[in-house]
Amino acid sequence: MSALGDRETVKVAQSARVGNAQALRVLDVPVVVDVTKCITGCRICIDSCPVDCLAVNPDTQKAHMRHDECWYCLACEIDCPKDAITVKIPFLVR
Amino acid sequence: MDDTNTEADVIIVGGGSAGATAAIRAQERLPRGRVVLLEKAHVKRSGAIAIGMDGLNNAIIPGHATPEQYVKEITMANDGIVNQRAVMAYAVASYAMIEQLDRWGVKFQKTESGDFDVKKVHHQGRYVLPMPEGYDLKKILTRLIKRAGVRVTNRFAATRVLLDDRGRAGGVVGFDVRTGEVAVLRSKTVILCCGASGRLGLPASGYLYGTYENPSNAGDGYAMAYHAGAELTGIECFQINPLIKDYNGPACAYVTGPLGGHTVNARGDRFIQSDYWSGQMMLEFYRELHSSNGPVYLKLTHLAPETLEEIERVLHRTERPSRGRFHLGRGHQYATDRVEMHISEIGLCSGHSASGVWVNEHGETTVPGLYAAGDMACVPHNYLLGALTYGQICADSAALYAVQADLPPVDGDQVEMERKRVVAPLSRPNGVPHHQYEYKVRRLVNDYLQPPKTANRMAQGLEYFARLRDELDEVGATDPHEMMRAVECSFIRDCAEMAARASLFRTESRWGLYHHRLDYPEMNDAEWFVHVNLRKAPNGEMQLFKRPVDPYIVPMSRDELSGYRGLSVSDGDSTHVAPAAP
Repeated sequence: MSALGDRETVKVAQSARVGNAQALRVLDVPVVVDVTKCITGCRICIDSCPVDCLAVNPDTQKAHMRHDECWYCLACEIDCPKDAITVKIPFLVR
Repeated sequence: MDDTNTEADVIIVGGGSAGATAAIRAQERLPRGRVVLLEKAHVKRSGAIAIGMDGLNNAIIPGHATPEQYVKEITMANDGIVNQRAVMAYAVASYAMIEQLDRWGVKFQKTESGDFDVKKVHHQGRYVLPMPEGYDLKKILTRLIKRAGVRVTNRFAATRVLLDDRGRAGGVVGFDVRTGEVAVLRSKTVILCCGASGRLGLPASGYLYGTYENPSNAGDGYAMAYHAGAELTGIECFQINPLIKDYNGPACAYVTGPLGGHTVNARGDRFIQSDYWSGQMMLEFYRELHSSNGPVYLKLTHLAPETLEEIERVLHRTERPSRGRFHLGRGHQYATDRVEMHISEIGLCSGHSASGVWVNEHGETTVPGLYAAGDMACVPHNYLLGALTYGQICADSAALYAVQADLPPVDGDQVEMERKRVVAPLSRPNGVPHHQYEYKVRRLVNDYLQPPKTANRMAQGLEYFARLRDELDEVGATDPHEMMRAVECSFIRDCAEMAARASLFRTESRWGLYHHRLDYPEMNDAEWFVHVNLRKAPNGEMQLFKRPVDPYIVPMSRDELSGYRGLSVSDGDSTHVAPAAP
């Protein structure tokens, strides 16, 4: 797995550690947003999502996964200018 | 959005590959005209290639293949049931599309001398053109749509095509999936580019959105064309693909095959001669999976480290870039582990098989003013380049039609009926959640429609699909997003009924696994060398009928017609296998 190498290893390690504190319900949803990096008012990931499962969390004003409908396509993660998003493969699939 | 009063010359529904080129071309043809592109997601990341594509699977490049050879190959791969004129229109126009993409900045793999580096994956000819940096394709198209001056409305779900009193297309009804506001858009022409019916069967993982197709492609276009009275064809020729088990992304033979990867059984032996996705190939795959030789794997362990790096560089960045993460999460590596494969859930998609809306070589459906392109329009095995090419063909036809057509009047009753239908779930916030309804219909699709098919099983399934029509009145929604999912439930149910009825009607087996009937195991050319078409009859019933196959424009010998049969490698003897690489 050398081509993607480091970034992938970091993301996999990260996805094993990080939780989903920003989900409204306590579910293990695939899209994890680091609220310390996410820019308030930026909607790039919300625009990118092909299934429209992301939204602004009214409590934090940051992006979060509102609907558990992820295709793990990585559009949000790739398009995020702050590298604030980690997409985990959904539990049923991984 | 102020679309209640929008009047357009051309409305394109769906901004994926076909919709993008349709919009760009229509605006070019009608510089002063109004071209409106409606997209349920956002054009920058929508359609089957939301995250890009790693190659063109059906490039007909002078010096490597001719349009006649290609038409033969597809006629063969689809067991003779093709409208050759429609396939030929693609074959002739698609090289100009490749040159156009090249000029637009799409990077194709080229040889040292600067020629396109074409690979062999199909059974007979050479048609695969790698696009290792194809992750930028959608960005390039989005830029061109904007530059052309197309009016784009994102996050708008069209749900019905409006018809005038003469049965011509006259616009669409739909709603904003963020606000729930219903809008009517009048137009002289409508081009449907809504993609596959990709949420039909339930993936083996049980995850509703773990589909092969982009799950926003829920069969919207199939249902819209059907309710507009257009003919659909080959619906019984399901899409089933060999995929990475559970991940459900392509394995992918088209990328790894030319580099030496291939499919093996649990004994490590090859069992199919060609990894090109045909129904016959799928049947061999299915048999191997369900024999003592299963499971089935993609074998890459024998490849050199630099070859594996090249494979990862393409497969882990384009089309489904999370696949590397999937493998890592399971602790698997291409160098040491085989990749377990499986067959996908069923779907409808002409890009891969032949199930779609009936179109002729001009992209016209059987409804005047209504066109269809891409995965939802039946030009068999059309793939990405077919979508891009037919988008243009439809736009040319629609622009010509729009110039001499008037704007049809709106029928208030149709609009009102549709408005009531789409907002109804909001009045039932405590109704059945959309995901439960969807799980149920798709689970029943697996139970009763998944090949091998039988009449008894499918008739039983039809009863449940009829009951599910009534149960749509129980589905609830608490916001516009759920309203979108609820209307998608209706599209999925419509597609399930079409799939059942078309499969029941064709009392023979054809296209390998795609229409493999246990009660009619043989192919029967005497009775069934015809298209099976369906449409909504004036009384509202689903009507099925035979449509003759037009005389071929590229003659086929008997041997050529059966060229895709007998793809199995007997007894795991790999010495007779033609090398996948050139």
